Amino acid sequence: MGADLNVLEMNNISKTFPGVHALKNVNLAVKKGTVHALMGENGAGKSTLMKILIGMYTQYEGEIIFKGERLAHSNIKSAIDAGISMIHQELSYVPNMTVSENLFLGNEPRNRWGVVDRKKLREDTQSYLNLIGVKLDPGTLMKDLSVSERQMVEIAKAISYKSDVIIMDEPTSAISDREVERLFKIIEGLKKRGVAIIYISHKMDEIFRIADEFTVLRDGTFVGTQPIEGANIDQMIAMMVGRQLTDLFPRRTPEYGPAILTVRNLTKRGVFENISFEVRKGEIVGIAGLMGSGRTEVVNCIYGLDRSDSGEIRIRDTAATIRTPKDGMRQGIGLVSEDRKTLGLVLQLSVKENIMLPNFQLCTRYQVVSDAKEKMIADGIIKDLSIKTPTRDQKAGNLSGGNQQKIVIGKVLLGNPDLLILDEPTRGIDIGAKSEIYKLISQLAEQGKAIIVVSSELPEIMGLSDRIIVLHEGKVTGELTREEASEEKIMAHAFGK
Amino acid sequence: MKKSLSLMLVLLLAFMLAACGKDKENSGGNASGSPAGEGGSGKKIVIGVSILNMANEFTATLAKGIEAKGKELGVKIIINDGQKDPNKQIQQVETFIAQKVDAIIFNPIEAEASSPAVDKAKAAGIPIINVNSVTKSAPDAFVGSKDQESAKIAIDYLAERLGSKGNLVMMHGHLGQSAEIDRTEGAVEALKAYPDMKLIAEQTGEWNRDKALTLMQNWLQAHNGQIQGVFAQNDEMGMGALKALEDAGVKKDIVLVSVDAIADALQAVKDGRLDATVFQNAAAQGGGALETALKIINKESFEKEVFVPFELVTKDNVDQYLK
Amino acid sequence: MGQTIKATFTGDLLRKYGLLLALVLLCAVFASMSPVFMTERNLLNVLNQVSINAILAIGVTFVILIGGIDLGLGSYVALTGCLAALFASSGDALFIPILLGILGGLLIGFVNGITITKGKLAPFIVTLGMMTIARGGALVVSDGRPISNLSPSFNAIGGTFLGIQIPVLIVLVIFLISLFVLNKTVFGRYVYAVGGNEEAARASGINVHRIKLYVYILCGGLAGVAGIIQTARIETGQPNIGVGYELDAIAAVVIGGTSLSGGSGRITGTIIGALIIGVINNGLDLLNVPSYYQQIIKGLIIVGALLIDRKS
Repeated sequence: MGADLNVLEMNNISKTFPGVHALKNVNLAVKKGTVHALMGENGAGKSTLMKILIGMYTQYEGEIIFKGERLAHSNIKSAIDAGISMIHQELSYVPNMTVSENLFLGNEPRNRWGVVDRKKLREDTQSYLNLIGVKLDPGTLMKDLSVSERQMVEIAKAISYKSDVIIMDEPTSAISDREVERLFKIIEGLKKRGVAIIYISHKMDEIFRIADEFTVLRDGTFVGTQPIEGANIDQMIAMMVGRQLTDLFPRRTPEYGPAILTVRNLTKRGVFENISFEVRKGEIVGIAGLMGSGRTEVVNCIYGLDRSDSGEIRIRDTAATIRTPKDGMRQGIGLVSEDRKTLGLVLQLSVKENIMLPNFQLCTRYQVVSDAKEKMIADGIIKDLSIKTPTRDQKAGNLSGGNQQKIVIGKVLLGNPDLLILDEPTRGIDIGAKSEIYKLISQLAEQGKAIIVVSSELPEIMGLSDRIIVLHEGKVTGELTREEASEEKIMAHAFGK
Repeated sequence: MKKSLSLMLVLLLAFMLAACGKDKENSGGNASGSPAGEGGSGKKIVIGVSILNMANEFTATLAKGIEAKGKELGVKIIINDGQKDPNKQIQQVETFIAQKVDAIIFNPIEAEASSPAVDKAKAAGIPIINVNSVTKSAPDAFVGSKDQESAKIAIDYLAERLGSKGNLVMMHGHLGQSAEIDRTEGAVEALKAYPDMKLIAEQTGEWNRDKALTLMQNWLQAHNGQIQGVFAQNDEMGMGALKALEDAGVKKDIVLVSVDAIADALQAVKDGRLDATVFQNAAAQGGGALETALKIINKESFEKEVFVPFELVTKDNVDQYLK
Repeated sequence: MGQTIKATFTGDLLRKYGLLLALVLLCAVFASMSPVFMTERNLLNVLNQVSINAILAIGVTFVILIGGIDLGLGSYVALTGCLAALFASSGDALFIPILLGILGGLLIGFVNGITITKGKLAPFIVTLGMMTIARGGALVVSDGRPISNLSPSFNAIGGTFLGIQIPVLIVLVIFLISLFVLNKTVFGRYVYAVGGNEEAARASGINVHRIKLYVYILCGGLAGVAGIIQTARIETGQPNIGVGYELDAIAAVVIGGTSLSGGSGRITGTIIGALIIGVINNGLDLLNVPSYYQQIIKGLIIVGALLIDRKS
C-alpha cells in the first residue's frame, strides 16, 4: 500500500515546554480504515502528541498532513471541524442532560423558529447510535448510563462530527470484559466505514487483537512504526522501555509465618456474604473476580473505609473492631486503593504532603511539623521508590499515573503496615512502572509483610499470588494455590461455575 | 446517627422558639382570639399595628408609645414587626383584615412599596392611620413629624453656634429613603439662609454607627482642620462620628448635631459630649396615632394630618428628655 | 533558554506577589489623587478600619479551605457583640464580657460544625439558617435596642496601646497564629487535605469530621473576637450591626486567591485582600466620591484586582 493512503501524517513534530523537550522529531503516519496503536510508557510523549493533533497545543515544530493537506488548526473546535475527534480517558459530559442533548451539545438542530427541534434531535441521535449498533434510549440521562455506555455516546458524537480520525485514550480502562467486546465490534464497524483509529492502551492483548500497526514513543522520541503482524510482546516492550524485561514477576520462595489477618463470615448485605479467608506473614494472597463481584468492597471493609454488617475480622488472632480507616491503620493495615485519584491522593497537594498525610506522627512534636524532618522522610520515599518528580513540592496531579501510584504506595508503606492491601495496583500504569511495583511487592512479602492483591488482570494475579481467592457475586467460589491456578480455572470460578 | 440528628433539630427549634418568644409576648395571644366585631358596645377594641422595624430603637419606642396608650385606654394592641420588608408589611395588613381588626396603625417602610397595604385596608373598609412615614396612597389619617423640620432645626443650631459661617459636613441616611430625602432637603433649604456656611462633603453613613465612625475618620483625614460643623441625619451616625472626633482629639473644635434623641444621644448631650440632638417624639406620635384611630372608630371628628413638632435638645434642657 | 528561565522567573514573582502589586498600585493611585492618603495617621486609620473584616476573613479562610462556607458572620458579630455588651455594662467588667463574646462565637461555630458534619447538611444552608438565628438571638439579648454605657476598661479594647490601635495589634497576633497553624501544624496540613480531597483524607486515616468541626468552631470564635472589637470600637452592643459583613469577608478571601472549591489558598492573601477592600473604602471617602459611584467603583476595582492576579 502506498503512502497516499495515509489519512494522517505527523512529520518531525517537536514541542518544548519551558526547560523540557517534550517531543523531538516524532513521526506518526496513520492509514485510512485502520487501527493504529500508539504506545509508550507514561511520559513518553503520547498525550503531548495527541494534544497537538486535536489542537490543544498550537505551538510546535513540524507539520501535520491531514487528508493530503497541511493542517494548521488553531483550536479544538477547528480540529473537530476538520475531522479529528478524541475520546478522552476521563469522559466529559453533562450528567443531567440526556444522551441526545449531550450528543448535540452546542450543535442542536433547530426548526425554522430557531427553537431546538426535539423530534429531529431524537431521530438523529437514534440514527447515529444505530450506525454503531448501540441500543440506547436517546432520552436517558447521561448520569444513569454506565461508563461504557457513555463511551459509546462519545463515539457516536465523534461520528456525528464526520470524523476521519478518532483518538481513543485508554478506552477499556474502566469497563467490563463484555463491554470491551462490544467496543471492539464498534471499532471494527468504524474501520469498515473508513475511519482511522489511533488507539492508546497499555494492554498488550488488546493491541494484538485489534491493532493493524503500532508506533512506539520513548522519552519524547520516535522509536518506530511496525505492522502488528510479525511483532511480539517482548519486542514491543523492549522498544518501549529500551531494555529487555526478562522477568516481569520476580521469583521467590515464600516463607510463611503465623496468620496476620483472619476473616470469618464477613457479610455486607447485598454486596458480599460469608467471606472467610486468612493471610499469613510473608504471603501474597490474590483476590480475583469480575467487576462487581465484591472484591473491592471486601478489602475496603477490612481497612475501615466501609463497614460490614456482620462477621469477624481478627488481626494476629485477636478480634479487631475496625470502623474507620484510622482504626485500620492502628491495626497495622495499609490500603492502596483502586481509585488513586479520589481515594489515594490529594491531587492539588505536593508529592511531599501526600506522602506525609497519614504519617505526620513521624515528624511532629506537640502537633507542630518539623520541616527538616518532613523533607528528609519524603525525600527518602521518593528515592526508595524512585518516584520521578522534579521536586518534592511538585503537585501530585502533575505526575504520571505510575509515579502517582508510587506516591500512594510510599505513603502507605511509611506507616509500616503488617498487612498491605493493594487494589488494582497497576491500573493505567506503563509497563516499566508495573515491573517496578511487582518487584516491590515481592520484596515486601520477603520482608515478612502479609499482602493482599486485588486485580482484574489475570497475569498479574497469577504472577504475584501464592494463593488466589476467587469471588463471584459476593461469594467465595474458589481458592487456588499458585500451582493449581490457570486462567481457565480462575475464569470458571469467576463466572460462578 | 438518626437520634443525634433529631436531637440537633429539636435543639435548634428550641433555640429558634426562644428567640421568637419575646415577640410573641408583645403581640399577645391575638391570633386565636375572636374578632372584636364592630368595636364599641362592651367588646374590646382591637387595633393592628405594623411597625417598620422593631430592631430600631426609634420605631420600637414608637410601638411602645402605642402600647402604653392602648393600656391606658383599654384597647387591645397587636404589634407586628415589618422587619424592613414591605412585602411582609403587606401580608401583615392582610392578616389584620382577615382578623377584622377595628383599625390599623401603619408605620410604612417605603412610600411606594408599602402603598398596597393602605389600599387593601381601605378596600376592606378598615380605617388605616399612617404613623411617622408616608405612603403614596392616602391613608385615612397621618400622624408624624415633618422630617424637613428636624434638619432645619439642626442647621439653625449649627449656624447659631458657628456665627453663621464655617465649613460643614453632612452624613446622609440610607440613600433614597424618605427620611434621608426629607432631611437632606430640609438641610439644603435651611443652608440657603446662611451664605457663609459651606457644605464641603456629604456621604452616606447608612444610618449606621460603625459606618459613620469610619466615614468621620476618613473625613478628618481628607479635610484636616477645615471642618467646623457636622450634621448627622440620625443619632446612631452622630454617635459614631462623636467617637471618631473624640478619638482624634478634635471634638472641642467641631460642633456636632444629630437627630432622633435616642437614649445614647441624650446621655451624650447631658455629658457634654454631643452638642445637640433633635427630639422627634416617637411615643407622642404613637400615642397620637392611637388617639386618632379611636376617634375614627368612634366616629368622632379628627384631623387628617397631625404633626408632632421636633424639639431641639441641648445640655440646657436635656434633663426633661432623660427618663 | 536563558530567556525562558528569566520569563518564568518574573512569572513566578508575579504569581507570588501579583496581589501585593495590585495593592501597591491601588495605594499609588490614591496617593497621587489625595495628599492625605499616605499620611501615617490615615494609614493607621485604614488598618484599624480593616481589622474587623480581616479577623472575619481569616476565620472564613479556614472554612473555605476545607471546602465550606459561612454566610452568617455578620449576625455572629451582632450576637457576640451584644452578649459581650450585656456583661460589660457594669463597673469595670473586662474579662467576663470578652469570655462570653468568644464563648458565644465558639458555640455558634460548634453548632454549625456539628450540623454540617453529623447532620450531613450543606454548609450553605446551615450557616444561612444560623445567620437568622444569630440575628434573632442578638435582638433577644439586646431587647432590640443598642446596649450602651459600657465599662471604660472594655471600651479601651477599641483604643490604642503604645500609639497603635489595639484592634490592629489583635489582628496581627491572630494573623501570625493562623499563619503558624496553617503552615506548621498537622491540623493545618489536614485542613488543606480535607479541602483538596475529603475522601482521600479520610482514607489516609484523618478524622475529617473533627477537622471540619474545629474549623467551624475556629471561625465562630474569631467572629466572637470581631464582635467584641466592634462593640468596643463603637462603645455599644448593636443588634442590627454587621449586615453584609460576611460578603466583605468572603470577598477578601477570594481576592486573596483562595479557591472557593477548597484546598488551596493562603492567609497572607486574605490579609492583602482585606487591605485592598479597606484601601478602596478609605480612598473613595477621602476623594469624596459620591456614594452611588463608590459602589460601582468598588466592584470594578475588586474584579480588576482579581484580573491582575489571575493574569500574572
